Amino acid sequence: MSFDVDSLSPDTVVVHMGEALDFRNADDFKDTFQTHVEDGTRNFILNFSETEVLDSTGLGSIFSLYREISPDDGKVAFADVSRPVQVVVQLTRTYKVFRQFPSVQAAEEALS
Amino acid sequence: MAEHAILIVEDDSTVRELLKYRLGKHYDVFTATNGQAALDKIEDRIPDLIISDIMMPKMDGFALQSALQANKNTRVIPFIFLTARADEPARQEGARTGVDDYITKPFDMEQLLSRVERLLERVEMFQSQLDAKIGRDFSNRLLPDEGPSVEGYSFYFQSEAHEQGGGDLFDWTDTDGGSYFLTIGDVMGKGLRAKFYAYSFLSYVRGTLYTLLEESSSPASVMRNINDMLLDDEVLEDTFASFLLMHWSPSAHTLTYANAGHCRPILITPDGPEIVEHSDLILGLEADTSFTDVDLDLTPGTTLVAYTDGLMELPTPDGSMLGEEGVKEVAYEAYGADAPIDAFREAALDRSGYDSFQDDTLAVWLQRNAEDA
Repeated sequence: MSFDVDSLSPDTVVVHMGEALDFRNADDFKDTFQTHVEDGTRNFILNFSETEVLDSTGLGSIFSLYREISPDDGKVAFADVSRPVQVVVQLTRTYKVFRQFPSVQAAEEALS
Repeated sequence: MAEHAILIVEDDSTVRELLKYRLGKHYDVFTATNGQAALDKIEDRIPDLIISDIMMPKMDGFALQSALQANKNTRVIPFIFLTARADEPARQEGARTGVDDYITKPFDMEQLLSRVERLLERVEMFQSQLDAKIGRDFSNRLLPDEGPSVEGYSFYFQSEAHEQGGGDLFDWTDTDGGSYFLTIGDVMGKGLRAKFYAYSFLSYVRGTLYTLLEESSSPASVMRNINDMLLDDEVLEDTFASFLLMHWSPSAHTLTYANAGHCRPILITPDGPEIVEHSDLILGLEADTSFTDVDLDLTPGTTLVAYTDGLMELPTPDGSMLGEEGVKEVAYEAYGADAPIDAFREAALDRSGYDSFQDDTLAVWLQRNAEDA
């Protein structure tokens, strides 16, 4: 299973995270972002509106993305964060690294 | 789950295509026309099972099978001989080490399919049993045999490991000054890989602690070192972990902690439970993360409960999870029990409706006894 991705500009994409990011599909997510990182994408807006499950393996795959793009001033933004994702982000204090936006559009405006 | 790959080695194109067609409905099939061609294909890709003819040009089935036996990477691939030579000498030669089955032509396709299925199942079962065994072995190494024994305090810990679980770890060290250093962590990921990383980690933390404690007993400074190691080490490059480090001084009745994105502990006093709020960013994400030491006073009757996310993520009948608030309530229910860690576990399971945990869980219960006890 792959993830739906919208390209907003050569630098920025929106990845729709779907219902779950966990140990079952974390490698698919890595493959997805890898393609875009190689194509020069530096900003990733992750749309969490439908996400019910984010486990530690899933979060780890987002960390991998962050570590890959942050040396080039890339950004990972969380948009429309659902309640279960919010809990994980709070617990791990990762809101200090991943900016949160109420909607994909708000994230787009901030990153453009 | 990925489809199993089957290599068919057969010089007769009719038989080859028939097998490819029938097996192709269930498996990912690739083919070779003789032993040498098969070895070339196997070099690019190791199949999960091989079905091979015996009489073939260039390199026959026996030579192919011997070559595979000689290589440790291919020795264990299930191997079925398929041949028209039904006579006894060939059958005997075929029934040698590393050959799992021997089927003579003309063969019954349904029978062949069921043998293939059974062989693949057997291999998979063996693999998962091996993983489970190694996983449990690692889990046991990630925990001490017992907790520290200190007058005026009761110390308990409880852990359950599952082969599907992640890398929960707990360790404690006594320092020369009569105080203790406690380490609780969770290495991200599931299964063997997480357990292996947790194990390497713990070895590192143990090693680092002995050196660092000579200069400082600050959990935050140890945390900075672990974070640097995670970011610098190439093997651990893709690894992230949450840690709770605590320096506990029973004589001063204080506990100093630093928390890197780990489940926040619960502090229970006779007045009630509260969540120990302050925590910093999880490890392995940012190079210049700052970590803070926070001091807690352990007045008589005070209990500190630390745990890993398997407990917080315990599913409840309403389809959600026990959560931080749930863990807090359950800990308070167990507070004052004779065997609090057992009461804590039971109370958590009661809320979930399960008989046992489905994920790795780890809980540490540090209690200063009441003065009159």
